[in-house]
Amino acid sequence: MRRVLSALAGLVALIALWEGYKAVGNPDGTVLLGVRVLPRADDLSMPHVSEMLSRLGRPELTGGRPVWQVVLSASLFTLGITTVGFLVGAVVGLLLAVAMQRFRIIERGLLPYVILSQTVPLVALAPLIAGWSGTIWPAWMTVAVIAAYLAFFPVAVGMLRGLQSPQAAGVELMRSYAAGWWRTLVKLRLPASLPYLFPALRLAGAAAVVGAVVGEISTGTRGGIGRLIIEYSREATSDPAKVYTAMLGAALLGLVVAALVTLLELPLMRHRRRVSVVTM
Amino acid sequence: MTAVSLANVTKVFNQGRPDEVTALSGINLVIGAGRFVSLIGPSGCGKSTLLRLIADLIPASSGTVEVAGKPATKARLDQEYGIAFQQAGLFEWRTVQRNVELPLELRGASRAERKARAAEMLALVGLADFAGHYPAQLSGGMQQRVAIARALAVHPPLLLMDEPFGALDEMTRERLQSELLAICAKTGTSTVFVTHSISEAVFLSDQVVVMSPRPGRITATIDVDLPSRDDAARQSPAYFDAITAVRRSLRGSDAAPDTATARDADAARGAGAVAAPSSRTPGPVSDAATAP
Repeated sequence: MRRVLSALAGLVALIALWEGYKAVGNPDGTVLLGVRVLPRADDLSMPHVSEMLSRLGRPELTGGRPVWQVVLSASLFTLGITTVGFLVGAVVGLLLAVAMQRFRIIERGLLPYVILSQTVPLVALAPLIAGWSGTIWPAWMTVAVIAAYLAFFPVAVGMLRGLQSPQAAGVELMRSYAAGWWRTLVKLRLPASLPYLFPALRLAGAAAVVGAVVGEISTGTRGGIGRLIIEYSREATSDPAKVYTAMLGAALLGLVVAALVTLLELPLMRHRRRVSVVTM
Repeated sequence: MTAVSLANVTKVFNQGRPDEVTALSGINLVIGAGRFVSLIGPSGCGKSTLLRLIADLIPASSGTVEVAGKPATKARLDQEYGIAFQQAGLFEWRTVQRNVELPLELRGASRAERKARAAEMLALVGLADFAGHYPAQLSGGMQQRVAIARALAVHPPLLLMDEPFGALDEMTRERLQSELLAICAKTGTSTVFVTHSISEAVFLSDQVVVMSPRPGRITATIDVDLPSRDDAARQSPAYFDAITAVRRSLRGSDAAPDTATARDADAARGAGAVAAPSSRTPGPVSDAATAP
């Protein structure tokens, strides 16, 4: 209950900041020594929050579906891509982490490339992957691959850290039980890595959303929220509130993905919540 | 029947490299079944290394290590021993009961058997009411008791302990010492106990093995014969005699302190420890560590 209230308070504060700046800010922006240091506050650059919300209810084009329906269905489409990308990325990251933990030489050989993979600009990579589509898989799968490409990284790095987290005593204990690598992994390393895994999954979820949205834009895939943002932003001069409705959809998408990860976490991290210590 | 037997054992770390260290050299030790033996010595004398060799957590560089009449590796694979470390090392995501069940689980014991054995062990260490708790909810002493229960869960003939009470306060430590003795007497388990506390070694052991560093070797084995193992024993003359003997061995023959003086000092310390356990008691330990 408290968390819901504080989340609402954050939302209210954000709206107040937006509207507050709009009320006091210079409509043409504040220019200092020829450099604009504060953005324009006119209705074209910063439409009222109420205008964005009411835009959701009006039709997209004259006689068309209302905007909220279009945004919602586009968000669902992208959610599907994000989910596929997230799952693939998480599994790949997990396997990479396990391989790197198991073989030191893989860690030394692979980890630099894992880090390097994230410094390649996504925009440069996307058209390359887009070239694969049309033959063996549909266009949306290309976008999912891009999402997975961003999502695997935090999982691989976080999970490796988690798998290496058990102390020597725990590892020696498993050895004293004559447990091999596999059983040590299942009974000790995997459970010990959960506190590292979930923050990594949260990052991966956010990365998958970004990957899906950017992937849709750069591959020109239709039907998703990324495409919608581009389409609506072209109308920004005549209909400034419209693009914000699409961004609202993208934000909602991020929240849904974060919530899904939390749902996964709750049953697995039960032991973390009971903390009152018995002393006797 | 011997529980542990080591013959001409040496252990060299980083062999052949510039940072080569001879941790143990020429170790010969035979521990009879049912005996309680302590390994004592200053830091760096290799007592923990010796315990790890017996447990086959690390291989010996040369010599033979036998546990329960088998090579150490075979004994480990057969789970012939249970082990407990200074840190309880409980798995925080498992309840107390599931922690105790862990070695049984790895042995493929049935669910019912695991449950029964865990309950038995937890009753033995006096934690029957805490089976459903998570380790983070327990105090350090309770966690250490769970670790002991876990080490004993498979009914091993041998218990290996590496400074298990080192991180505990003096009151808890003395209570757990008595509990450990009672458990060992009840189960007939042989025990190898690494410590750097002279009083702890003497109170617990049938035999105290004194070690010295660089390279780690056994300098003396002192038999301790206390009339009983209770609080009265902590004030008996035999107890103080043994403490003096261990301390003198730790200091080496060249130190040769005045016997009477040493014994009086011990008596004062020992009595103080029983009446009011305090930070003074680590005294003998630091004496030993700084001894020439």
